[in-house]
Amino acid sequence: MQPLRDAELGAFTFFASPLPHDVCGSNGLPLTPNSIKILGRFQILKTITHPRLCQYIDISRGKHERLVVVAEHYERSLTDLLKQDKPISSEQVLQIAYEVLEGLAFINRHSLVHRALSPHNVLLDCEGKVKLAKFGFYYMTDHGADVDFPIGYPSYLAPEVIAQGMFQSTDPSLSEIPLPSGPKTDMWSLGMLLFELCAGRQVLQNIEISERLKFIITLGCMDDIVTVLAEEHGCLDVIKELPDNVLLLLRKCLTFLPSKRATPAELLEDAVFERISCLYTRYASPVSLFSSSLRCVHLQLPEDINELCKVDEEDYLTERSVDEVYHLWCLAGGDLEKELTNKGIIQSKPPVCTLPNFIVEDGETFGQGRDRSFLLDDTTVTLSLGQLKNRLKDVAGEAYYPLLEDEQTCLPQSISSNELSAAVSLPLIIRERDTEYQLTRIVLFDRLLKAYPYKKNQVWKEARVDIPPLLRGLAWAALLGVEGDIQAKYESIDKDTPIPTDRQIEVDIPRCHQYDELLSSPQGHIKFRRVLKAWVVSHPDLVYWQGLDSLCAPFLYLNFNNEALAYACMSAFIPKYLYNFFLKDNSHVIQEYLTVFSQMIAFHDPELSNHLNEIGFIPDLYAIPWFLTMFTHVFPLHKIFHLWDTLLLGNSSFPFCIGVAILQQLRDRLLANGFNECILLFSDLPEIDIERCVRESIILFCWTPKSATYRQHAQPSKPTSDGNGFVKTMAFYSSEYQDLPNTDLTREPLKLSELKAEVSPRISAEDLIDLCELTGPAHFKTPVKRPKAVKTKIVAVDIRSSEDFSRGHIPGSINVPYSSVFGPDGELLQCPSTSTLASYKSRVVVILSNITKNAVTFAAHLVKVNFPSVCVLDGGINKMKPTGLLTVPSPQI
Amino acid sequence: MKTKGNVSSTEKEFVFEFKAGRNHSVLKVPLQFPVQENVNDLHGRLMLLHNIPCFVEKDLKKKLLAFIEGETLEDYDREAEAALQRITNGEVDINKLSNLWAKAYTETTLEHARPEEPSWDEDFADVYHELIHSSASETLLNLEHNYFVSVSELISERDMELKKLQERQAVEMNKVMQELGKTLSDQDVNTVAAQHFDAQQVLENKWASELKQVTGIQKQEYQEWVVKLHQDLRNPNNSTITEEIKVQPGQLTEASELGARVFEEHRQLEESFTIHLGAQLKTMHNLRLVRANVLDFCKHRRHGSGGSVKLRRLQTAFSLYSSSLCGLVLLVDNRVNSYSGIKRDFATVSQECTDFHFPRLSKQLEVVQQVVLYARAQRSSKQREQPEMPRNGSNDEKNKNIERNPSNILPGEFYISRHSNLSEVHIVFHLCVDDNVRSANLTARDPAIMGLRNILKVCCTHDITTITIPLLLVHDMSEEMTIPWCLKRAELVFKCVKGFMMEMASWDGGISRTVQFLVPQSISEEMFYQLSSMLPQIFRVSSTLTLTSKH
Repeated sequence: MQPLRDAELGAFTFFASPLPHDVCGSNGLPLTPNSIKILGRFQILKTITHPRLCQYIDISRGKHERLVVVAEHYERSLTDLLKQDKPISSEQVLQIAYEVLEGLAFINRHSLVHRALSPHNVLLDCEGKVKLAKFGFYYMTDHGADVDFPIGYPSYLAPEVIAQGMFQSTDPSLSEIPLPSGPKTDMWSLGMLLFELCAGRQVLQNIEISERLKFIITLGCMDDIVTVLAEEHGCLDVIKELPDNVLLLLRKCLTFLPSKRATPAELLEDAVFERISCLYTRYASPVSLFSSSLRCVHLQLPEDINELCKVDEEDYLTERSVDEVYHLWCLAGGDLEKELTNKGIIQSKPPVCTLPNFIVEDGETFGQGRDRSFLLDDTTVTLSLGQLKNRLKDVAGEAYYPLLEDEQTCLPQSISSNELSAAVSLPLIIRERDTEYQLTRIVLFDRLLKAYPYKKNQVWKEARVDIPPLLRGLAWAALLGVEGDIQAKYESIDKDTPIPTDRQIEVDIPRCHQYDELLSSPQGHIKFRRVLKAWVVSHPDLVYWQGLDSLCAPFLYLNFNNEALAYACMSAFIPKYLYNFFLKDNSHVIQEYLTVFSQMIAFHDPELSNHLNEIGFIPDLYAIPWFLTMFTHVFPLHKIFHLWDTLLLGNSSFPFCIGVAILQQLRDRLLANGFNECILLFSDLPEIDIERCVRESIILFCWTPKSATYRQHAQPSKPTSDGNGFVKTMAFYSSEYQDLPNTDLTREPLKLSELKAEVSPRISAEDLIDLCELTGPAHFKTPVKRPKAVKTKIVAVDIRSSEDFSRGHIPGSINVPYSSVFGPDGELLQCPSTSTLASYKSRVVVILSNITKNAVTFAAHLVKVNFPSVCVLDGGINKMKPTGLLTVPSPQI
Repeated sequence: MKTKGNVSSTEKEFVFEFKAGRNHSVLKVPLQFPVQENVNDLHGRLMLLHNIPCFVEKDLKKKLLAFIEGETLEDYDREAEAALQRITNGEVDINKLSNLWAKAYTETTLEHARPEEPSWDEDFADVYHELIHSSASETLLNLEHNYFVSVSELISERDMELKKLQERQAVEMNKVMQELGKTLSDQDVNTVAAQHFDAQQVLENKWASELKQVTGIQKQEYQEWVVKLHQDLRNPNNSTITEEIKVQPGQLTEASELGARVFEEHRQLEESFTIHLGAQLKTMHNLRLVRANVLDFCKHRRHGSGGSVKLRRLQTAFSLYSSSLCGLVLLVDNRVNSYSGIKRDFATVSQECTDFHFPRLSKQLEVVQQVVLYARAQRSSKQREQPEMPRNGSNDEKNKNIERNPSNILPGEFYISRHSNLSEVHIVFHLCVDDNVRSANLTARDPAIMGLRNILKVCCTHDITTITIPLLLVHDMSEEMTIPWCLKRAELVFKCVKGFMMEMASWDGGISRTVQFLVPQSISEEMFYQLSSMLPQIFRVSSTLTLTSKH
């Protein structure tokens, strides 16, 4: 979006028509409220940017179907020119006409018609240039069908608009709904407007509305409409004296028959603008982040680079884009309804005074007078930026232009930088509501994302701190490594031809995150359908499983106006975290996944694992929707955002930790309950504290040896050489286990049945070497360095007989022979080795043996007695022998 | 209803020619107008479908766009001129059309609407709301309380006199009965009884008119005083009332001592729960199970019987003109009046204290009666207009009932009264139920249940955030209401209300509410705890439940 500059933020409000009582849609579901329909339709207007149009910024829904629209606004409009009570110079009239036409032609290209053109909707910016306001009103209300009031103003309605009647008119003779108004209706309105400017007075003001409309219709019988109008208003002299080209322009606009009237685009090319048109350059919309053309293609650097940093009026905030300023305005305590109430636009009566008297069985109410506060008052109110500016007055100018090259300083050095660095440690919820903090984050991310993919690494680094909600969509795309001309790719996918999956998609969409206004709007449903179909069609080896809809929801929500990006993100996300989950026969993938998950539960919480196994409450019963949808099926969107902000930074085994963290929060209730209660509990998952869940899953993740979550059906490693020549230096935790080079010491795949039989996870020999910090012959190298801060404490427990142990063992390992600790039935014996073991309870215990089966049983026994963090060395001691790391203890010990 | 499907659609053929090497190809595509789908998709689809070489892609896209634009414009023009034609050849009456437009503008836009006549009620509402949220709230409440005390004195006087009369009449009647068959005949006894009845009526009427007069005076005094106080607070220079404010508390202590009289509080049982409803996004609500008399929520108590009474009173006054109102469901029969049963009891309670804001209950009911008649007329005329509307069979019987007595209301229908003088309630929903609610097999489709749903809907549209519902759909217990009956009924209402509350989230976007389930005073403590253990099971109380029990 464009920078705010000298514009203001404005808001106006209206009501959508209420729905009739208890009417169901054709699918048996309740009808979508009209306000939600409008809200969904509005979204696309945010992408329509042109210098002659007031940028739409936001729409919000209030109580009782109220809608508030926020848009760029200017205080001055053509009404002010008319108030001067004298005709405007013909030069200026031509200019205004040309600029209005530019705006109209642009919206026509997006299939929009203004329909509500009037002097107070043609605003003038500080340079006197035209800015059209409310150009999306007709479109967003579905051509007036979703509101009670007519769109447009009586004096400026085109004759054919009047003749076609209103949508609301319950005239039974109209069996067919007429087409909405076309682009030429605006030409008539423009003609009236220009006539007023020429005449220097408002027309048709003093007659009744019905008479006004009749007058306009009767103009059809006149030969010269302009002259008739002038005679009617007693300004024939003024009109007569107009230059020929202005008169011609008026006649062209005020042509009665639409077929003879020009369209805005046609008139722009007309000879009347011969002298004017050369003053204007065609507007070229900026290139988007993901496209095949160069983003810098229109970049023109001045000869003298210093001109770029000319210092005038240091108001950096207004250089930010309008939507950012609005976002910050909201954070700084801006309240739309309050602003409108203060200006007297919203006048609500106390509800106790507006109650109906009598309600019949089907819900129809009686005895309720028409409430005046529901009438339309579409005055636009200027939102004061004072509070926001005051809030940000201490933010130094450097904060608006952070230097990205310096890797060290991510936050600008200023007076408030101390506060800001302190802010980083605050809870996320608070940071997201902190105006200054969000300003610096938004500026920083905005610049980083503009430099994407060049600054990809820094996006990763900053995302680890947090992601500003305003830019989450793009930030996620960057984290998922979306690149290329996604738009062209998306367009080339056939999303229209019916496919067998359509029916299922059709059933699922109206049940997916429908509490959300965007996703429950008809536009949302259409977009949902297209993105899902695009994915299904473009992945012929995979199929649509229920849950894919939930998975699509966060991406669609964040990129509502950019289906291509939503599709690209989803296509990047699924192979990373849900590789092959959407195979037609995905049972082996899911079974392996769930088995590893239950091993993770045993590893982190043996007591819970024992209880759940005892009552037979296995992950298959509850965890499939968790993992298949990456938790989007169980959490509301706002929680998913926070969860995924972290998930996207981790590797594909991070979801296990989230799963364990969720179980941890329900631990007490799970432990206290039997099978039936647990099933009930999970069928309607209680509130989960998501911030705690994220925090704990990070801890669990750090505590888990990397190879413990090894899955043979995980995504095979990709070829490491990127085409772009980028060397990815990913952090330790975000790299995939599969991406590490394969050596003899890596884990080997197990059969599913074998895997299922094991309670504890196995870890690879290289993990053991790495974690024990064994240094041996340097034939083994870790590709990435582990951060020192999260050092895992580990102890190797050698369960071979003491003779074997003394013949050679891993340095630092302890010897607890199998038979010395457990009795024949697996009960723990009281002996010195037991207490030795118990003293290592806070460490990761790696069981190693020469017979894997023994190690596995030993581990299972340990878990049985609630011993946490138990794992088994894959391949046993034999795997370690070739490394030459085994030592023989000196005899005196 | 308007549906998009009604738009007349025509098919037009798009022809595109291109050369690939020596081949000259022609592509013909039938297109539906108006074009619904995305044009960008369309050309991609054509490319894919017809294996069109990529070098003509740009050309195809351009031509396709131009074609669609041109055809659409033509359609617009044709439609528009057809509409104009209809007027010139008189198919559509220009007067009728322009009047329709004018009506639409005057009815829906502020600019063209008729100016609003000032309403005393709303102005008073604003003034009161401002005052009650200022330091004057204490004074207001005290004043209200003083008025209450004087009315209740009047009422106790009335009761005393009535009692005396009844005692006197009883003695007389006894005498007459003893003489029956001796000196007096049945005829004489009847005459005496009639005399007694008349005497009682006269006395009652006398008191009723006196009460009416007193409350009328009180109301007027009060309103004048409030307006004056408001003015004085605005310009504190010439304050006459501030003096009065200072005097007030002195009187008050006396009054409250007076009010410290015994107020027998029944042993009320109460239990609270917090629930979360919704599949993904959850809304928190508070539920409460209360064993009490329904009128306990209405009865005004004198100050002094604990500070909580005054606090509650203040709370009710605070929220009167706010957007968090309290409502109560009262189960009534099919006549809109206050002659018998619970209706009469409620009317008595509502008279115990002057309503300074809203008309008397009897007046409100008069309005309701008129509205009911109006509604019936509206409905029947609508039904006559659309006779083909298929309705279910039970409706015929209903219609007959309506025709027989159009002023009666049907089960499931309800009327609403507003009150400022009840202790915990602003809005009373008088829900009509019939004998069906006593039966053991009430279903979820019963009118009474649908009535509850509509009540909750009104709660959504009019910001009623606390609602009290009789759980068993009866106010008093009777013999046929056995333990299994109670459990079955409670389960039904719990489940239905839960369903409605989940539905409500889509009506109002999930606002936290308090729903109180009321059970009659006469059920046993054991029964109460049985019900209170049922509630968390049905509502799946997810957080730890809080247990409060009043004694």
